[in-house]
Amino acid sequence: MNRVVVTLVGKDHIGIIATVCNYFAENDINILDIKQTTVREYINMMMIVDLEKCSRQFSDIVCGLEDVGKKVCCVIRVQHEEIFDMMHRI
Amino acid sequence: MVELNEVFETNTMICDENLDVRTITMGISLLDCCDSDLDALCGKIYRKITQSAGDLVRVGDEIGLDFGIPVINKRVSVTPISIVGSSACRTCDDFVKIADTLEEAACSIGVNFIGGFSALVQKGMTAADQMLIRSMPKALSRTERVCGSVSLASTKTGIDMDAVKLMGTVIKETAEETKDRDSVGCSKLVVFCNPSDDNPFMAGAFHGVTETDLVINVGVSGPGVVKTAISKVRGENFEVLCETIKKTAFKVTRVGQLVAKEASKRLNVPFGIVDLSLAPTPAVGDSIADIIQEMGVEYIGAPGTTAALAILNDQVKKGGVMASSYVGGLSGAFIPVSEDRSMAYAAEIGALTLEKLEAMTCVCSVGLDMIPIPGDTGAETISGIIADEMAIGMINQKTTAVRIIPVCGKRAGDRVEFGGLLGSSPIMPVSKYGCKGFIDRGGRIPAPIHSFKN
Repeated sequence: MNRVVVTLVGKDHIGIIATVCNYFAENDINILDIKQTTVREYINMMMIVDLEKCSRQFSDIVCGLEDVGKKVCCVIRVQHEEIFDMMHRI
Repeated sequence: MVELNEVFETNTMICDENLDVRTITMGISLLDCCDSDLDALCGKIYRKITQSAGDLVRVGDEIGLDFGIPVINKRVSVTPISIVGSSACRTCDDFVKIADTLEEAACSIGVNFIGGFSALVQKGMTAADQMLIRSMPKALSRTERVCGSVSLASTKTGIDMDAVKLMGTVIKETAEETKDRDSVGCSKLVVFCNPSDDNPFMAGAFHGVTETDLVINVGVSGPGVVKTAISKVRGENFEVLCETIKKTAFKVTRVGQLVAKEASKRLNVPFGIVDLSLAPTPAVGDSIADIIQEMGVEYIGAPGTTAALAILNDQVKKGGVMASSYVGGLSGAFIPVSEDRSMAYAAEIGALTLEKLEAMTCVCSVGLDMIPIPGDTGAETISGIIADEMAIGMINQKTTAVRIIPVCGKRAGDRVEFGGLLGSSPIMPVSKYGCKGFIDRGGRIPAPIHSFKN
């Protein structure tokens, strides 16, 4: 498994998650978990996804999701999960 | 499974509070390059560096992309060149040729600094040591990326006052050689007491002779993260303050540990250490002074500053030590005046003086760092400042350093702009009273009584 954390921050509107999920489906990326909170009109979303079956380079996925972020007017970041495990788990 | 709040806490540190990995530094031993023929030596040095660290920049950038954390600098440190070049170099210009080779190798692999144009003379200077030191003004002024350091003292050996005197002159000459650029050559030259063999930070990085052939050392940073964390416990007692710094330092260091292990794996080079030092930059919100001021000191340099810095340094170590399997380097808080916007401001309004900075170096990890002083400061006075700092390191069994810049043509109160990470600062005044008689004595200050532990 090649677990990656995708975070999204921006102004909430219809279709954000659908657009991001479509991108994942098109690139053989499996979604393992989704969590989100909405504070006033802003959405904070985190997805844990598996890149195991994805044939594209990680750098391509980073760029691709940046473009998706621009399309839905949100900031999307993609990071390998280890950085969060290291920082928050002993 | 990671939680939403943890993910956003990490990303806030990275995006809003300037958390980054300050440097991945590859230490490279050049001992196997030694040759009595200078051209052969330079050829071997170039090949060893470019072959060993050819992938360093690419791998550093890839790790940054994978974990979403900026890896700001990729650098190389090498065995002190006075040792490597001792049988090949007959003149100062021979050492300058090695500096040119280091510059060429650094440009070829794309690192922004290469450290190790160095000499270890804490007990005395060989002919090669003297030649390297005397070549520094020329070598450091004609290269952009080569950094030099000289170890002048240690707790075990005392202080080599002949070398201290020589360095006063060398610093003045280096300033003169780069007077068209605000004497910036001196920013690449540092003198040490008790230097660290595995320091990843410039300008003082070199690859110690007891180190393995190749090694990866990592320096993390995060003054902004610490400042934000303690701003949330404003008014709380020291127990709460210390715990907050400690926990934050743990998190920051864990990132360094991850990056160091990953770099080691991808480059197939052993992991050396993580340096815990909090290193500021001129960027807004990336300041050690801001942390001290957040603790309740009006401006850094005011009474209370030394105690506040001692707390910061100690808690960073306590938090960091548990976060990494190997901690080393300088590990503490840097206090470079021009590189820290709020520190430079405190100097400008007179809150921070050279004398207070000297006191602060008793409790922090380095010493008098990036301090511009008047260009007409005498060589003996610079040697006196160095001797004081060496004495603090020697007696307290800690690393101390001096990176001081006598800016040609400028006087106390004038402003100097070094640009980039080196920042800007007012010229700080130096005592007008001299110490020529003291410096001219020559010889060696004996090691202190507490160094005899055998």
